[in-house]
Amino acid sequence: MASSLLHPPGHLPPATALRLSQQAPSILENSPGAISTSLLQSMLSTSETQELWTKYENLLLSCLRTGDDTSAHQCLGRLVNRFGDDNERVMALKGLLKEATAPDDDATLDVILQEYEQILQVNPTNLPIVKRRAALLRAMGRTTEAANALNSLLDMSPTDAEAWGELADVYLAQGLYPQAIFAQEEVLVLQPNAWNIHARLGEILLMAAKTSDAPKRVTEALKRFCRSIELCDNYLRGYYGLKLATRQLLSEVAPKATTKQTETEEWDVPSSITVQKLDELATEKLAEIIRRYSAGEKDWQGYSEAEIVAARELLKTQDTATVR
Amino acid sequence: MAQLPAQTIHRDPQLFYWILLPITVVMVLTGVLRHYASVLMATQPKRFDQKSIREQRSMIHGVATRSNFYVLSAPSFRARRDYLANAYESGAFLKDPDRRGQPPANPMTDPSAMDGMMGMMKNNMAMMIPNTLIMSWINAFFSGFVIIKLPFPLTIKFKSMLQAGVMTREMDPRWMSSISWYFLCIFGLQSVFNFILGSDNAANQMAQQMGAMGPQAGPQMFGPGIDPDKQFKTEAENLAVVEHYSVLDDVEDRLLEGIKSK
Repeated sequence: MASSLLHPPGHLPPATALRLSQQAPSILENSPGAISTSLLQSMLSTSETQELWTKYENLLLSCLRTGDDTSAHQCLGRLVNRFGDDNERVMALKGLLKEATAPDDDATLDVILQEYEQILQVNPTNLPIVKRRAALLRAMGRTTEAANALNSLLDMSPTDAEAWGELADVYLAQGLYPQAIFAQEEVLVLQPNAWNIHARLGEILLMAAKTSDAPKRVTEALKRFCRSIELCDNYLRGYYGLKLATRQLLSEVAPKATTKQTETEEWDVPSSITVQKLDELATEKLAEIIRRYSAGEKDWQGYSEAEIVAARELLKTQDTATVR
Repeated sequence: MAQLPAQTIHRDPQLFYWILLPITVVMVLTGVLRHYASVLMATQPKRFDQKSIREQRSMIHGVATRSNFYVLSAPSFRARRDYLANAYESGAFLKDPDRRGQPPANPMTDPSAMDGMMGMMKNNMAMMIPNTLIMSWINAFFSGFVIIKLPFPLTIKFKSMLQAGVMTREMDPRWMSSISWYFLCIFGLQSVFNFILGSDNAANQMAQQMGAMGPQAGPQMFGPGIDPDKQFKTEAENLAVVEHYSVLDDVEDRLLEGIKSK
């Protein structure tokens, strides 16, 4: 499975990450450690490919996740050999390795943080290091500072979808819903067809609806989930959210009196018939996904176990509610 | 019709060793040399400072907001539009706000712009100088020789290409002169260089010429001599005229329709 090493391993389930990192010694042994730049040798040996270095980088991340520090050091060593100590990405990876292998006390992490700050003083545009610094601050529990770091990064480079996403997450953890929604919307502006981001924004809106502005936010959440399903058929997360949103809308008494809002800009709460239909649709689809997944049908195995379990639970509570 | 008697020219076999081979070897070696020379002379890609990155990306951000406005709800789009248009108009993202309204600096005096031009000059020089030298070398030593006979027949049109430097009207176009062999080497050695130096080598002049003509759009947007303030103002106007609709407007109906029709 060398091909899966070509994608960033952040989203991989633990088992896959473990399998990848267990292959690390053999991969390291079989791949060239360094590409010679001399003419004669490059004629004789295999030529350099970009995939090789991507592989090393992803292998490094997988190894760090599973605690295989020696292989991680080897990967990093090869990357340093090739790209030099002052390559921005290599610098970030080095910092990452240090963070990961640091003993769990704040003193060591503080030292690493100061190193980052020194690097940034020399070159404030080193984006990988800026991001690492924000991540480290968050990991150390200094959430407000992390948000500030991300904000200053985004002031410099407002087209960085990754940073916007992280900022949305930081704000969400702090319970600052409007800010989180704003940041998540920015991600969508940069990646308009990302269905997972649409669903994520719907989730944030649903959470935010618990605090204030319920009908408006639930309506938008509903629409976001619909859009994510529209972009990606059989998207479990989208249907799950749709189900939650419709249930909330149905259980609420408020939308009965459809007071015409004066601002035409905002969306009206959809009619209860539509909501009812959407609810049925979501229930049906969720049931289908669960059924086909558990039956082991071939093209339906891409869902993660946890999501299936959650969907099953959701349907079960629904059933008991109606029985009661 | 009687076939024309095949022309035969008695050539000294030494021609092969002393002209054909040297020209080929010299061409290959120059190609290799040029590759390494341009690797050595390559300038580090320019680092932008914080403020110019901010200027450029704020611009791109505005463009992204304008072209993807449909993912936003009306209020959130309006908030963004007001903010961006305001900031663009007031020049909040400019690299140096003091220089607003002044004519753009002469690109000749701007050191950062000079760098780019120097790089281009260097590349062109690395291509032109060896070519000129080799051509004059061949002209001085080998002009007027007919060195090989191509193993296939050609039409008369090829005569001017293949027999440059040989003024014999009646000669079959299959005969090649040394200068023609040189031209053939220029265009034909690409695969040899690919083999020796890898596929993205700098010895390949055709690729360089293509590159010089092709992708100019990227740097041009922020290139020297363009006033970012004016660009920001244009972008603010573009944002102002966007007529907002959202992709979410009737999405639930669309979804129900779509499912039903399946």
